[in-house]
Amino acid sequence: MRFAIARDSLLPRIALAVALSLLCAAALIALSGHNPFTAFAAMLDGAAGSPHQFGVALNKSTPYLLAGSGVALCFRAGVINIGAEGQIAVGGAGAAATALAWPIDSPLPAILLALAGGAVAGSAWAAVAASIHLARHVHEVLVTLLLNFVAVLLVQQALAGPLGEFGAGFLQSPKMPAPVWLPRAIPGLDAHPGFILGVVLAAGLSFLLWRTRFGFSLRVAGASRPAALYAGFSVARITWGVMLLSGALAGLAGGIEVLGVQRRLIEGFSLGFGFKAVTVALLGALEPLAVVPAALFVGLLEAGSLSMQRQVGVPSSMVAVIEGLTMLFVLAATVRRRTA
Amino acid sequence: MVPLLEMRGIVRTFGAVRANDGIDLDVAAGRIVGLLGENGSGKSTLMKLLFGMLPPDSGTIIFKGRELSGHRPAEAMLAGLAMIHQHFMLIEAMSVVDNVMLGWPAAGKLLRRAAVANQIRGASARFGLDLDPDAKVANLPLGRRQRVEILKAILRGADLLILDEPTSNLAPAEVAGLLTILRRLREEGRGIVFITHKLPEVLDVCDEVVVLRAGRVAGRAPVAGVSRAALAEMMVGRDTTHAHSPDPRPPGAVRLAVRGLRGPGLAGVEFDLHAGEILGVAGVDGNGQIELADTLAGLRRGEGSIVLNGQEIARASVAARMQAGLAYLPADRAQTSLVRAMTIAENFGLRDHAGFLLHPAARTAHAKELMTAYDVRAPGPQTVAARLSGGNAQKIVVGRELDRAPSVVIAHQAAWGLDPGATRFVLDRVVDLRNRGAAVLYISSELEEVLAIGDRVAVLSGGRFAGILSRDKIDLGQIGLWMAGQA
Amino acid sequence: MMDFLAAAIRIATPLLLAALGGILSERAGVFAVGLEGMMLAGAFAAAVTAWAADNFAAGILASIAGGALVGVMVAIVTVRMRADNMVTGLAVNILVAGLTSFLARSAGQGGRPASIHLTPLAAWPIPGLSDLPILGPLLFDHPPLTYLAIVACVLMTLFLGRTQIGLTLRATGENPEAVFASGGNPKLVRMLAVIACGGIAGLGGAVLTLQQVGTFTDNMTGGRGYLALASLIVGRWTPVGAAAACLVFGAADAFGLRMQTFGLPASSYVLQMAPYLIALLVLASLGRATRLPASIGRPLD
Repeated sequence: MRFAIARDSLLPRIALAVALSLLCAAALIALSGHNPFTAFAAMLDGAAGSPHQFGVALNKSTPYLLAGSGVALCFRAGVINIGAEGQIAVGGAGAAATALAWPIDSPLPAILLALAGGAVAGSAWAAVAASIHLARHVHEVLVTLLLNFVAVLLVQQALAGPLGEFGAGFLQSPKMPAPVWLPRAIPGLDAHPGFILGVVLAAGLSFLLWRTRFGFSLRVAGASRPAALYAGFSVARITWGVMLLSGALAGLAGGIEVLGVQRRLIEGFSLGFGFKAVTVALLGALEPLAVVPAALFVGLLEAGSLSMQRQVGVPSSMVAVIEGLTMLFVLAATVRRRTA
Repeated sequence: MVPLLEMRGIVRTFGAVRANDGIDLDVAAGRIVGLLGENGSGKSTLMKLLFGMLPPDSGTIIFKGRELSGHRPAEAMLAGLAMIHQHFMLIEAMSVVDNVMLGWPAAGKLLRRAAVANQIRGASARFGLDLDPDAKVANLPLGRRQRVEILKAILRGADLLILDEPTSNLAPAEVAGLLTILRRLREEGRGIVFITHKLPEVLDVCDEVVVLRAGRVAGRAPVAGVSRAALAEMMVGRDTTHAHSPDPRPPGAVRLAVRGLRGPGLAGVEFDLHAGEILGVAGVDGNGQIELADTLAGLRRGEGSIVLNGQEIARASVAARMQAGLAYLPADRAQTSLVRAMTIAENFGLRDHAGFLLHPAARTAHAKELMTAYDVRAPGPQTVAARLSGGNAQKIVVGRELDRAPSVVIAHQAAWGLDPGATRFVLDRVVDLRNRGAAVLYISSELEEVLAIGDRVAVLSGGRFAGILSRDKIDLGQIGLWMAGQA
Repeated sequence: MMDFLAAAIRIATPLLLAALGGILSERAGVFAVGLEGMMLAGAFAAAVTAWAADNFAAGILASIAGGALVGVMVAIVTVRMRADNMVTGLAVNILVAGLTSFLARSAGQGGRPASIHLTPLAAWPIPGLSDLPILGPLLFDHPPLTYLAIVACVLMTLFLGRTQIGLTLRATGENPEAVFASGGNPKLVRMLAVIACGGIAGLGGAVLTLQQVGTFTDNMTGGRGYLALASLIVGRWTPVGAAAACLVFGAADAFGLRMQTFGLPASSYVLQMAPYLIALLVLASLGRATRLPASIGRPLD
């Protein structure tokens, strides 16, 4: 309801929002005494200058893509789920716990089992939010927001206890068994296959959204609750559906991060991922397939930011500035103006 | 007598509609003027112009000897006007005294709560308002909430009070209390405009009455010399010749049997609806129309029995009722029966439930057929519904609902706000369907429309049917009295 | 025990200020998810200004300005542009985290933040009163911003309950149409409330830099803005209620620190969860009876 968007003029508006935020960023860089063109060039070089760098960018994009397409689905249904942050953390812990508890020697089943553990954990955490929201009529944003903090602390608690590595002096799990490590499977790039999986799943979500009855019902519910009631769709069922799906996707994102990047569960491994998932969902106009370039954009920014800092001396936190500004501009440019 | 308010030659148009077409209205101090008229006769527009919520196209407003023009509500209030809306402008979570103090300069920048509470007690005693300053508005019955609004007007020193349908939400005992309060205000020399549909109240409390019809003054008279029947006639008019009158035909079997339907807004509706029959439901808005339509269609829950083609559906889901042959054209097209952000094709398929997958090509093709069959004028099936005119949008709803060949149709304000061509189209389709044996419940606040289309006419009043007349026994006077709340 | 309670009050101070700001925003009808960013902006502005001007008062004023600036952004996007309150809040939180870090590091060398060192504001024992048994150390032996928070809590209660502007603000969160009908301007009320929220929350941020830590580090609010949000929910949108909730949260935190020093790290996470769990419990147990301001989050035409 709050995100009913005028479809026809959307792409130019989002492009304008991105351009504006890059412009602001350039101005800031110039003000800090650096050449914005050199800075952006260094960033681009760091993000896509070599296959290795591009692989890193893909890996960084993966959790945003997975969780962001789930968030897009929720927002489409008018369910403002900002709980991806917690669902990713719980998903990572779920995958790690599964991998450590049931070690399997052959890679494929081991990976599938661990990722399934992550997805189930993320979904279960979303189910907690959905049930409190639906059973007790608590605003979904408040529930998902508050549960994020509980989730992160729960994972820390687990790392301080059963999941932790003894004597590490740092909150982290033991190294994952080698069979569950995600292979660097994309030819020529130093990337795990997570991004490809994300693209496939985003395509699946897009199909769900546009080609299935459930997708139609959730779009109706998102556009108008009275219309959904009139059409005979159950808003509760729709809410459960999108929450469980987006929870599973966020959990999967956490699992892939643990198995494919960190290779162990580390405290704070997913800090800010869930909030960035909201950014890319909006940037992708809540269209799962458009979340792919949006996630890639953020991933490239982050991969490139370190080399921008190294080569030009512009602090890498510039990325968050661009992300925040983009989000604000997209919000201002695309939300409908009047309830006609 | 010097009039408190003089409105002269007030004109206001909305597009092609002349909502106010040269209206004169005088109100003297110490007089209660009843403003009568059906929905859409121009009463609300006239009062909005007076209160500065809309600017008039032409005409003059003189209040207390001073011309008001280009004013806004805040200035109208300062000048001594007070408007008591049908929907109260109160903060339910707050106390009476907080509501009175809100926006009232005399309450002080640092609120003088105790002093204001005393003033409330004083005014409450003087006018018999019976209000406790510390009571929370949410805990007050509607009648008391209205008194809070009146209290606000009194304390702010309003010389002219406009009450918009002040009795529509009140219980009979509360109405009596309100009329007593209005008489006391009159004694104090304040002027009152009393907007209503209900004749008994007009005759009871008003000094004179002005009847509006189609944006013009249809009649004005001192209450003392006018009969109930004459007023009812002035209000509904005589002109009921209509092009769509269906041929009479014998009613078929009972399709829909409703017994003891109760719930918020409904107080025991009962009727039988037969195959090949249109039952027109007239009545003033707010007497349970939305509740009746939504409850029959399954969008709201109510108590009682609804039997559709021999099958009890009072507990069935919306989808199950559709499956059983029920079609519904709701009054709210902006939010309920259409999704404005979706395409025509999607809106035609809004209530489809069959199959897991959508078939866009088939849906587009079907939408094209329906667009032709139901004369939806738009570039194509992929046009977004928000771009359509009201008439074309409603044709989508009509096409979607009627094309399924339903056995029972619930139509609520189906032609409301449409241009004459679209109105005629919608009514013709409904009559077609009835001729093919469907049963139709046609709810509308446009009396002429209901009289034209109905094989029988019922009047919904206070959440129940005040009575049902068959087409050959229509008695306008009786219908007017039913609509005006006289059983 | 006295030490422990006094510590709880000190920990609660920044939370309370942010929560007071949040109450203004939410009672006017705008969700205060941006508290985190407002605090962080205030913390940053306070540290930089106090350090550059070598003047704590300037730092305090700067924190109000910094937070209010974030409030202006939120007000424009939510009230004027009618965007979703929550997502706008998240956006400014990300933006401010990035911007403060960027600015601190731009001022420093080699991507490291500029080194800001301030001597944290010391306690100002109130002569006479601070010598009272029990009450003295508890209430009258605190640094200045803590007194300010307590005073602000009292003033806020009076403002909301006893002034025409406060009444109008509360009415705007409940029924903006009624405010309009009584001659007010609900949009303007909302914008000003959000900006004031930013200023007060910014002051909460100043507590961190000027009174507790003495420097600015990246993301140093560490979720306190969200904690303040939880406390105003638990306190059911009243200043005194929020203060009580902040104290409970502060006590939980202080207790956690004690536990850690006694070598019981495990339970500290559960303790840190307590505020969020309590907030959820309050919301869930009230259900539909939760008295959220009736028009909160609903954009105005």
